[in-house]
Amino acid sequence: MIEKYKEWYEARHEYAVQWKKKTGGKVLGYFCTYVPEEILYAAGVLPVRILGSHEPQSVTEPHIFAMFCPFCRDCLAQGLLGRFHYLDGIMISQSCLHLRQAYTSWDLHIPTQFSYYLPMPHHVQSRHAVPFLRAELETFRKRVEDWTGTTIGDADLRRGIQIVDRNRELLRTAYETRKREDVPMSGLEAMYMVVSSQMVDKAEHTQVTEDVVRVLEGRSAGRSGTRRLMILGSENDDVAFVDMVESAGATIVQDDHCTGSRYFWDKVDANGGDPLTQIAERYVRRLPCPTKDWPARRRIERIVQFAKEWDVAGAIIIQQKFCDPHEIDIPAIRKALESAEVKVLFLELDVTVPVGQFKIRVEAFLEMFAGDDLF
Amino acid sequence: MAVETARTEYWRWTESRWTSPDIDWRNGGVISGGVDVGSVSTQAVVMVDGKLYCYSNMRTGSDSPESANQAMAWALDGTGLTIDKLHATVGTGYGRVNVPFATKAITEIACHARGGNFMYGPSVRTILDMGGQDCKAIQCDEKGKVVSFLMNDKCAAGTGRGMEVFADLLGVHITEVGQLSLKVETEPPPVSSTCVVFAKSEASGLLRQGWAKERVLAAYCSAMAHRVGTLLERIGVIKEFAITGGIAKNPGVVNRLAKELNIQPLTTTMDSQIAGAIGAALFAKALHEKKGRS
Repeated sequence: MIEKYKEWYEARHEYAVQWKKKTGGKVLGYFCTYVPEEILYAAGVLPVRILGSHEPQSVTEPHIFAMFCPFCRDCLAQGLLGRFHYLDGIMISQSCLHLRQAYTSWDLHIPTQFSYYLPMPHHVQSRHAVPFLRAELETFRKRVEDWTGTTIGDADLRRGIQIVDRNRELLRTAYETRKREDVPMSGLEAMYMVVSSQMVDKAEHTQVTEDVVRVLEGRSAGRSGTRRLMILGSENDDVAFVDMVESAGATIVQDDHCTGSRYFWDKVDANGGDPLTQIAERYVRRLPCPTKDWPARRRIERIVQFAKEWDVAGAIIIQQKFCDPHEIDIPAIRKALESAEVKVLFLELDVTVPVGQFKIRVEAFLEMFAGDDLF
Repeated sequence: MAVETARTEYWRWTESRWTSPDIDWRNGGVISGGVDVGSVSTQAVVMVDGKLYCYSNMRTGSDSPESANQAMAWALDGTGLTIDKLHATVGTGYGRVNVPFATKAITEIACHARGGNFMYGPSVRTILDMGGQDCKAIQCDEKGKVVSFLMNDKCAAGTGRGMEVFADLLGVHITEVGQLSLKVETEPPPVSSTCVVFAKSEASGLLRQGWAKERVLAAYCSAMAHRVGTLLERIGVIKEFAITGGIAKNPGVVNRLAKELNIQPLTTTMDSQIAGAIGAALFAKALHEKKGRS
């Protein structure tokens, strides 16, 4: 059943088309994981994440600067190439400049019924962040109600929270099993698991994940003897890259990606109070993206904690070329990891990854962990 | 009838082979091989009990396994040794997994550190491998084990291939490029781009403006030294410092780099291009001995 994730990942567009046919519901494409999916689930809308395809393309050049990150260009390309033709709406919550450009360009060139820019505060460490976001979520709720012709009451919001939280809980349980010395799932399987949760109906994903979590109890991925690594960076759904790393004799056991732990780690934990406040609190205090991780860098503490608890020997930092918010954190992350005796490999990614050129770096990195018996 | 004019290939460096006059492999213990199939050149090295016995250095063809076979056959030429007598062989370089007779593949990063340690001595801490199509800055310990490394990114700037393009453009033999570039009275500003194709366009422009060949070469060597200099500064240059690979033979780049970094690289009487293959052969010896122990 763990193979289901890969199927979903590979047939994401077919899935969404089928889902619409089956439910008659609306599908919304979102650009950033700060989008409050709870409210969309409360309205019966299926949120799907807009991700790239890792293929060379030549359609975004007139619309996005070449010195904007490869991910934002790859995302926009999917729209311009018509791959998300089934979307009824798109939205972004205030994200980095590059991804905002992808969103606004998409909005301009590929009209949909609904397009929304949610002003998610960047300064999440401000005491005003929660009331600010709560007010924005109230406006957003009304806009979604107008679009879908439904009423989103507090009970609906609680149901939305429950759907998304249950999925988060299970993903986290699955990640916890990767602490084991004999890891029950490869990094590639974990990547398919999380990324597919951004593509399919959470209720369906949860159903499969309930079973997967049970199976993981007694499962071995047969990867003992490989080097335990974690992988860090912005968005990463590059399965070819992860597969290459794991074929070179490593196993990825933890990550800090918005297609990984940053996406699902923190729950809303509705407790009967005002659901919109609780949702706002969740997005303000969640494991942050570097655009929102200031003035204190809260993310680094969590990265080091992950490295220790998941017992990793090394970390691969993958950097989307030209991504300034991530790049600016790298010296601090490197310093923190190296003081925790975690070796670091830095790689800079473009839309397409020259696997051969990265392979030698990864192999040489893994050779550095070997003992002295060949010297 | 078309007239064929002879065309000199200025980029073409001389392939070579060598056998130690002091070693007889028949009296030796462990015979180990190292083959470095690079993007431009391939080297095969045979060591007897960890001492350099023979090697070859030739251009890589389009077929990596065939290049590995040819290089080893040429290295062994006249020695009476055959591939089947090698106790172990390690493949390295871009074609490391395509060496048909190899026991194991190890990256050229590890092999250059190990080979650099052998060629330049255990005091080496920073090695710059300037290869045909990439460039690596490596820090190693006293055993020649990699501590950290950095590689240049995708383009071929700052590499041997770029130098070959310039040799051809200016009609100066590749082995003379470095010396000629030093024959300038004042150092010209470096070419502004080290992307090989753009640098070539820029150089053509400079020639049209009436620049002498040595001045254009000086501008290119200087740009290359600056580019690899920044790579080294990113990793940190710890003494002693050594350069391996083909560009180590180019004083136009080496002298400028030494000046820029204010550090004199170590020298060797060995061919700087065989460092990776030497490291591979030393790993092969260690692998054979490890097998014997287990």
